[in-house]
Amino acid sequence: MIRLIVRRLLYLVIVLVIITFLTYVVFFAGNPNNLAARFAGRDAGPAEIRDAAIRLGLNHGFWYQYWHYLVGLLHGNFGLDFQNAVPINSEIARAFPVTASLVVGSVILWLLIGIPIGIMSATHPRTVRDRASTTFALTFLSVPSFVLGLLLLLVFYYYLTRAGLSWFPAAGYVPLTQSPVQWLVHMILPWTSLALIQAAIYTRLIRGSLLDVLGEDFIRTARAKGLSRRTVIYKHGVRAALTPVITQLGIDIGTLLAGAFVTEKVFGLTGLGQLALNAIGNEDLPVVAAVVVLAASFIVIMNTVVDILYAVLDPRVRLA
Amino acid sequence: MSALRADELEIVEEKDPELNEQQFESRTPWRLAWRRLKKDRVAMVSLGFIVLLILVSLFAPLLTALIGHGPNTQYTTRGLSLSGIPVGPGHNGFLLGTDDQGRDVLSRIIYGSRISLEVGIGATFLALLLGVVVGLFAGYYGGFLDSVLGRFMDILLSFPILLLAIAIVARFGPSLGLLIVVISLFSWPYIGRLVRGQVISLREREFVEAARALGASDLRIMFVEIAPNLVALAVIYATLLIPVNIVLEATLSFLGLGVQPPTASWGNMIAEAQTGDLFTVAWWFLVFPCVALVLTTLAFNLLGDGLRDALDPRYGRSHISPAKRVRRAFRVRRTPPAPEPAEAKA
Repeated sequence: MIRLIVRRLLYLVIVLVIITFLTYVVFFAGNPNNLAARFAGRDAGPAEIRDAAIRLGLNHGFWYQYWHYLVGLLHGNFGLDFQNAVPINSEIARAFPVTASLVVGSVILWLLIGIPIGIMSATHPRTVRDRASTTFALTFLSVPSFVLGLLLLLVFYYYLTRAGLSWFPAAGYVPLTQSPVQWLVHMILPWTSLALIQAAIYTRLIRGSLLDVLGEDFIRTARAKGLSRRTVIYKHGVRAALTPVITQLGIDIGTLLAGAFVTEKVFGLTGLGQLALNAIGNEDLPVVAAVVVLAASFIVIMNTVVDILYAVLDPRVRLA
Repeated sequence: MSALRADELEIVEEKDPELNEQQFESRTPWRLAWRRLKKDRVAMVSLGFIVLLILVSLFAPLLTALIGHGPNTQYTTRGLSLSGIPVGPGHNGFLLGTDDQGRDVLSRIIYGSRISLEVGIGATFLALLLGVVVGLFAGYYGGFLDSVLGRFMDILLSFPILLLAIAIVARFGPSLGLLIVVISLFSWPYIGRLVRGQVISLREREFVEAARALGASDLRIMFVEIAPNLVALAVIYATLLIPVNIVLEATLSFLGLGVQPPTASWGNMIAEAQTGDLFTVAWWFLVFPCVALVLTTLAFNLLGDGLRDALDPRYGRSHISPAKRVRRAFRVRRTPPAPEPAEAKA
């Protein structure tokens, strides 16, 4: 177990180096002077641009800047942003709870929708129920998340409000600590739009994996020794079928924590995705790099959690 | 009794050669697959829709000329009401209504289909090229090359690709070419991994051994002997990758990083509809591009599903009995389901 964690940490370091390097290369592929000129203000002369470059640390060479950034990272410091010279750590601290509440709620929702439907269609293959769940999955697999989000807004916000039922707010975020009820009300539509699409993927995943498992020898053995259908499916089948689901879940949570760009934009949630989008628009390099680093870390951390969960869930992994 | 048997034998012998010849002529793997696909009504409807869409995008200038409305012309008098509200579907000769600037939604959707198909098909083609070549090398040579390329593909697949794509597009400025390259850059590992898995099992087959015994070079074995066996796989997964790439283009355009207005793309039409809150009173210029996008991705997904069934008999559903299907579904499967090309032999 310790070896696994150490190996993962090493992997994380490698991925972080690669990904931050890529981010820097992408940003410095243009002329760094343009970056400085951008933040020197309007009508800035050459002297002012040079001042801005020094202020932002852009006067040093590429390698020096990159190294400087990595050292800062090691101290848990993302640096200051270019735009307002605000510590990025505090910006992230403000944006992260928004993204986290979006992700946590929708993960719960999509598992609650996806797993039962997947199990149902795997235990009744090629029946009407299976076909209905396939139709559900294929439909939502084909709907881009911004389309679903906007249509939900159109129907549940605008049309309901016009009909005199203002149940759902348009957009925005209310912190959980401020008002739990308002928080919930503001999150329902974003959760739904994210969860329906993901649930479609998970339905297919569970169905496929459970069908594979139900064909294995140990299922026949379990049936042969007289266990009930229910015990066999849920205690033996589903448990073994969950492994690929957990892998996917790790990747999905990691990726989404780095910012559900589209959902955040549609519903006006000021999470990490919005932060990154704004920063990219402003060519605010340190902020972009920070979000990229966070994203990679989340993904690697989630993968580690997944590997540990594997060992807990699947004795074959533990013994190997 | 024995006389009867002789009779039967005679009849069989008379019929058999003719029958066999007929069947033999028509039974190439592709014809078999096409026959299976033709029975799949959903896939055929999807195929019809896609063909129609391709025709529409090819003849976009002709169609919009027939309609009489250019995609970027602002019909401020006919297209907007006095208070500046867009005209609804079917009014003033605008079949799907107008948008907030008085432009014909139908004409814009028609021109938007060009962008979607160009990016979707173009990026998929590039991804296919890259994925097949890398997958061939990784799978055929194995060893160190395989672990390096394999790990590289794994890392690419686990990256927050949307974020990097956004960063690249933002840095170099949005253009159609860059869009295609960026999208294909992030979608080729899907193909690469599949091809790699397939090649690993193919390289152990007898025909590869035979080719090697005849003195064929590695490159020849890879591209002449093995590659044709990958065509079915490539066709299936390319069809399934196209909708993914179309959605990626629409998403980037929606975020303002793809095709720039006033050029119409479904993504930026939806984004424009969202920015002013006008779509609350004029739903059509939000909903119709959404419908076009969803129908297109759905059609490609359904066709891909059908193609998988048709080209890969192991997943087939139309030509085996229901009881057999269930039994097959519950059959023990020890190896992961690497799809095998439809009975194809090099």
